[in-house]
Amino acid sequence: MKAVEFKNISKNFGNFPALTNVSFGIESNSVHCILGENGAGKSTLMKILFGMYQSDGGEFYIDGNSVKFDSPHDSIGMKIGMVHQHFMLIDDFTVLENVILGNETTTGLKINFTEIRSVLNDIINKYNLELDLDSKVSDISISSQQKVEILKLLFRDSGILIFDEPTAVLSPVEVKEFFKIIDEFKRNKKTIILITHKLNEVKLIADRVTVLRKGEVVYEEDIIDYNIDLEKLAQAIVGESRVSIAVDKSSENLTNETLIQLNSINLSRNNVKILDNLNLSLRKGEVLGICGVEGNGQNEIAEIITGLEKDFTGDFKNNNVNVSLVPDDRINKGMIMEYTVGENIYLKNGRKFIASSAILDDFSDKTINEYDVRLTNNKASLGSLSGGNQQKVIISREISAGNEVLIFSHPTRGVDINATAFIHSKIIEERNKNRAVLLISSDLDELVSLSDRLSVLFKGKIVKTFDPEELASYRSDNKISLTPDIEIKKEKDNQLFELLGKLMIGMAD
Amino acid sequence: MNLKTKINLISISISLVITLLIFSLITIIIGQNPAEILSIILNDVFATGYGMGQTLFKATSLIFCACGLAICFHAALFNIGAEGQLNAGSFVIALIAVYFADLPFPVVFLLCLVSGFIVSGIFGLIPAYIKIKKDVSEVITTIMFNFIILALVNFFLVDFFAVKSTMRTEKISENFMLTKFSDFMPFFSGSSLNISFLIALAVAVISYILIYKTKFGYELRAVGFNKTASKFIGLKVNKITLIAFFIGAGLTSLSGINFIFGYKGFYEMGFSSNIGFTAIAVALLAKNNPIGIIFSSLLFAILEYGGLSVNQQVPKEIMLVVQGVIILAILSVDKIVNNYFENKKDF
Ligand SMILES: Nc1ncnc2c1ncn2[C@@H]1O[C@H](COP(=O)(O)OP(=O)(O)OP(=O)(O)O)[C@@H](O)[C@H]1O
Ligand SMILES: [Mg+2]
Repeated sequence: MKAVEFKNISKNFGNFPALTNVSFGIESNSVHCILGENGAGKSTLMKILFGMYQSDGGEFYIDGNSVKFDSPHDSIGMKIGMVHQHFMLIDDFTVLENVILGNETTTGLKINFTEIRSVLNDIINKYNLELDLDSKVSDISISSQQKVEILKLLFRDSGILIFDEPTAVLSPVEVKEFFKIIDEFKRNKKTIILITHKLNEVKLIADRVTVLRKGEVVYEEDIIDYNIDLEKLAQAIVGESRVSIAVDKSSENLTNETLIQLNSINLSRNNVKILDNLNLSLRKGEVLGICGVEGNGQNEIAEIITGLEKDFTGDFKNNNVNVSLVPDDRINKGMIMEYTVGENIYLKNGRKFIASSAILDDFSDKTINEYDVRLTNNKASLGSLSGGNQQKVIISREISAGNEVLIFSHPTRGVDINATAFIHSKIIEERNKNRAVLLISSDLDELVSLSDRLSVLFKGKIVKTFDPEELASYRSDNKISLTPDIEIKKEKDNQLFELLGKLMIGMAD
Repeated sequence: MNLKTKINLISISISLVITLLIFSLITIIIGQNPAEILSIILNDVFATGYGMGQTLFKATSLIFCACGLAICFHAALFNIGAEGQLNAGSFVIALIAVYFADLPFPVVFLLCLVSGFIVSGIFGLIPAYIKIKKDVSEVITTIMFNFIILALVNFFLVDFFAVKSTMRTEKISENFMLTKFSDFMPFFSGSSLNISFLIALAVAVISYILIYKTKFGYELRAVGFNKTASKFIGLKVNKITLIAFFIGAGLTSLSGINFIFGYKGFYEMGFSSNIGFTAIAVALLAKNNPIGIIFSSLLFAILEYGGLSVNQQVPKEIMLVVQGVIILAILSVDKIVNNYFENKKDF
């Protein structure tokens, strides 16, 4: 029995075909992964299923019935729910208020809180969501916010759950937790559709995969007993153009010149300690990795170094250098959605006072070509680009600013495998140019392969720093391959990963 | 023409049609024939050179103020204080012209331009500064400053500078008066239209370039679109806020040039007859585009001038109603039109 069946779905933006004759089915009570390059049309297809967009051609069936959705209201009525990449929560409201907000079951003027509470607490216990209904959304971690979104769907009793890159914002430990919840969904006869760029996740969780490329279905396969050829899958995703970049990461240029120094930094917000006597130094020609679960002070470190946060005590030294930042939240902090690619880059890097169209085109062409940005046309506003492509533009803008210090916060979040390899190579290139790079991430692969030194951040404190020798002793070999690593981890790497995983949640010393 | 402009023109046209319908409805309720009222207005404005000249004269001051406001609005700074700001600058302009009557015209004129701009600009800087330092909404402070400034000007005028038993300053030297259009185009004879109008056109073009074609303009609008992102991208948001407010408020002072150097020759309490507020609607109608502001200023000038001529048939307040309806229409139609295109994307 198919829960969802797409038949020849097409969608154009202007005269750009985002989806062309997409046909495939999603088995009821299964986990179905949708993969594909940035801009392949994954989110667009899911937005059509959720009623946010209407297709230009084709139709789709829910449980065998042809349906037509004019808005999410219709799809919600059919028990379809979607968790977007960008959460739709109100920060100032509590978990409970967010769940109640805009829910039909709360008819009339009076809301029966006791009843709703008990229903919600039942759901929370059943799926092990570990949420407190009364905490404010702004006070809880990203992964908990994601659980609030999940709770919203479950409260509506959704049977088909769509997740657009849910694991992009999670640390490895949290991903495991999330997959446990997914398993529980399956046991409860739900159908799960999941978009991701991480192939090893597909192997762990999916029953079937569908790969989109340039708006068309190019590959489909069932996964039985975790059996899938990831190399073949990677090939299907990127087509012929699999990037394989090997960068020479020489350690010659490791000088001891410190550009940024944080000494005994303390920072509190609303009486909660965010940074706790933090010490950190960033040197020329190195990548310093910061490993940790999101919300342990990473953003504050980045904001202090860039000069955006001044409300701290302790000693902050900037050796007279400029700092670039690729922020963690691209929608709110990273870009002007209304501006084109060229305008976004001119905004930061333009030197000329008059913005001639030649200058704007020049900025835009350079980035689009170098980073292989996929967009409908060069004058498209950045808001219309796919998530991964927006990220490429932001990275290009920050790198081409030419500053001595670069902070990358989750640089490859939501970025496909080719672009990830490319961005990694750019980061190493900057390091080799003797720039100082601070790499904040929750992706251990990324951290371990790029960092010269690696610090683990937990509750606003650096609990451990691996120096280059120590890292090398864990690494299986010293040449890093920037080809997306989809092989089984070597023994030594696994040891390191396990240790890091524990340190990140404060379980080791 | 790009898509955005197309969408804007569509929504503006629809709003104007709606406004016309509501205007007709009201006149019918009052017991008048809307077609007749309209024809009186149009006739008064367009039949004579005098009518046209007066209308353009009114438009001139609106263009100055609305361009200033547009610069603030693009940065999402809701400056509601143009009325006060322009009065402060204009008062100073008149005083300088009166007290430096012996200096040559170009010197005095330049002095007036600069000091009027600075005084008005400073009254824009204060709310901007309070906003930056204390996070107080500029909407509230600028409104309050309208009262403060008018009271201050009133005090200085009455106690020190006014001609006895009037509410105006002394007259500036006749030699200082700007050339009137009627001086070289008899067609406009009798009207106050003066070369300030040409300055206004230039200001509109320059504002347009500043907003849409320069680094500063890109920064200004970026702050308006997304202040947080602007900070992270590295823009100096506070500096941009201050500059926007200074230039925006400063430009409103030019309406005093139009009135004092172009028409009456003195500053008079109440001369501005609320153009500082009307200009908000003018800017809004033009979607804060200075070129559009030229046209929306003309429209509002026609309404104001025409309103006077139909006073016999309908209360002249009906023109205020029309202005209000335009704003409401544009705000709501804009949303609808934008949503429509958002969903379609089939263009
Ligand atoms: N609202 C829109 N207006 C114009 N073009 C759009 C819009 N939404 C998406 N597109 C275009 O459609 C294409 C597919 O976008 P989509 O967001 O579906 O990609 P995706 O597969 O989800 O990519 P990613 O992995 O980066 O999230 C992109 O080229 C994008 O620029
Ligand atoms: Mg997407």
